Amino acid sequence: MRKLTVIFLLSIPAIALSGAGSKAVGTAVQERIIVGMATDANGLGDGSFNDGVYAGLKKAEDEGLIEIRLIEPASMTDYVPNLSGLAEDGAELIFAVGFLFYDALLEVAPNYPDTMFAGIDLFYDSPMPPSNVLGINWKEHESGYLAGVVAGLMTREYANRSDKLNDENVIGAVLGMDIPPVERYFVGFTEGAKSVNSDIEVLSVVTGTFTDQAKGKEATIALAEQGADIVIQFAGLTGMGIFTAAQEKNILVMGADVDQNHFAPEYTLTSAMKGTTQATYLTTLDFIDGNFKGGGNAVFGLAEDAVGLAPFHDFDFVVPSEVIDAVEQARSDIISGAVDIPQTRDDAGI
Amino acid sequence: MNVFIELLNAEFLIASVRLATPIILASIGATICDRSGIVNIGMEGMMLMGAFFAAWAAWKFANPWFGVLVGMLAGGLFALFHAWATVSLHLNHVVSGAVINILGFGITRYLLELFFGHPGTSEIIPHSLAEYRFAIPLLSRIPLLGPVLFNRTPIVYMMYVVVILFVWITRKTRLGLHIKAAGEHPIVLETLGISVKKIRYIAVILSGILCGLGGAYLSIENGNSFSEGMTAGRGFIALGANIAGGWTVVGSLIASFFFGMVDALALRIQVLGVFRVPSEIFLIFPYVAALLAVAGLVRKSRAPRALGEDFQIERSGT
Repeated sequence: MRKLTVIFLLSIPAIALSGAGSKAVGTAVQERIIVGMATDANGLGDGSFNDGVYAGLKKAEDEGLIEIRLIEPASMTDYVPNLSGLAEDGAELIFAVGFLFYDALLEVAPNYPDTMFAGIDLFYDSPMPPSNVLGINWKEHESGYLAGVVAGLMTREYANRSDKLNDENVIGAVLGMDIPPVERYFVGFTEGAKSVNSDIEVLSVVTGTFTDQAKGKEATIALAEQGADIVIQFAGLTGMGIFTAAQEKNILVMGADVDQNHFAPEYTLTSAMKGTTQATYLTTLDFIDGNFKGGGNAVFGLAEDAVGLAPFHDFDFVVPSEVIDAVEQARSDIISGAVDIPQTRDDAGI
Repeated sequence: MNVFIELLNAEFLIASVRLATPIILASIGATICDRSGIVNIGMEGMMLMGAFFAAWAAWKFANPWFGVLVGMLAGGLFALFHAWATVSLHLNHVVSGAVINILGFGITRYLLELFFGHPGTSEIIPHSLAEYRFAIPLLSRIPLLGPVLFNRTPIVYMMYVVVILFVWITRKTRLGLHIKAAGEHPIVLETLGISVKKIRYIAVILSGILCGLGGAYLSIENGNSFSEGMTAGRGFIALGANIAGGWTVVGSLIASFFFGMVDALALRIQVLGVFRVPSEIFLIFPYVAALLAVAGLVRKSRAPRALGEDFQIERSGT
């Protein structure tokens, strides 16, 4: 009886963690290229990577270019079978969403040499992936740079345009774990701010977590106490804390990854975004045109319209046209190559 | 030296109180549970349940006070599961506690999808308890301590009440005596005609209610939404605080506040950038502090004698 109880107790989390069961959806249209999509455990409806990739594929499907085969895992152990299943189902290109697919892709891809695999947010360098695997990444430093331009100008030159801005030439950033995409965002942000405001002070806190709202809030408050009146977050769910901190300290904040304005519309100046939709759509087009090249990584940035700044929303009348012009200038300088943004602290010397 | 003077201001102490509050609540919960003889390592899971249901109720009914109530209830009900597993089914306490933690994370994540339709973060609650911050007249005018302790938000005040209440319960009441007896000599208690089972159930559920309140603090007072895994290890820090505090309410309070201070300090030193060292050093601050505190203080304290021991009375027919 006791043993049974233990088994019962231990089985509950497995069921609870699994979320929605596996399901495959597809529409039967003949003679279209079948493109598979394997979501991570969050599945569709995560308001983030999964939804973004699906929207990109949907766009291609609506244009009559492809047919989508979608599969959502019950748990992480389904990653490998899901990928294999899609390949055997006749998918010619398969999108695997999220960095947890790193090993699963390397395991499955060699078995299906005729199928191409695209790993969203996966970066392969050593060893390089098989020739049918492509890692898809973003130039976070480019959207960080644009956010930095806005923050750098607003905190000093246009500080009189909002009662939430102070006289001090200080801005801040709350970082999650110090992983490469976070570092790229932060370095870009710092460089962008310095490009328009050379003696600005950019403070930062590494919280070491992507889930701790309370710590994100305290980090923001600590930054505000040192005079930061614009704080940006590159910290996932930890970054949720900056919105409550903004209300408490009456400062402005910026979101990351997607437009986070709705979390605190009166305090959110803009967000530094990276878009999966456009990157997925472009990758699919490349595949159709026969330009898909595996064995390495593809990086999407401003030039592809895959990263950028969110609208200012309520701050449309606060942000002066000079700032918007400066952002446009920076955007075209980055695209033309006139501005080269470093991607690591070492390169940037900060 | 100036740097340290700059650090030790009222703002720093306020941040310490904010960071310590959920830990204090959970560690007092752990204390009360452990004193009854039931090991509780499931605070993390119970806090998560409290945090989730508090945010859900505060959002659904647009009333944060209702959120507090539902959060405490959820923590208590979830703890009932631990009580049932350990007291009635005689399951190993640590195993059950581990299940509570895993389950707490899994269930809240699952319900987040079910109730809000997406993982990650819940909707923003319309009103948070932070709106109900108020200064206690007279007390809040005490220099330094006044603004730090007596110009705070509701759950922080509730935490003060909890501390006083539980010091009183453990020291002055019959229930407190019974709880302590259940953890030291359960057989004596049983022979006096008092059900050890009942006392332990009460203690475990009380601990769940306190954890639920701690979780509610995170989601509807300090924050304004629930996000996956938002307790971020505070339940485990509370476990350390309870042990470092020598299984006493006041000890837990002091140890938890110490951990809150270390957390606040680590963030501030990083912001000031006085030491040019890798940020990882600051991240391990609270854990090193917990380790040192437990290692340094635990020898002087003694765990309840019957802690973790199963209590079973043979009765015919059961």
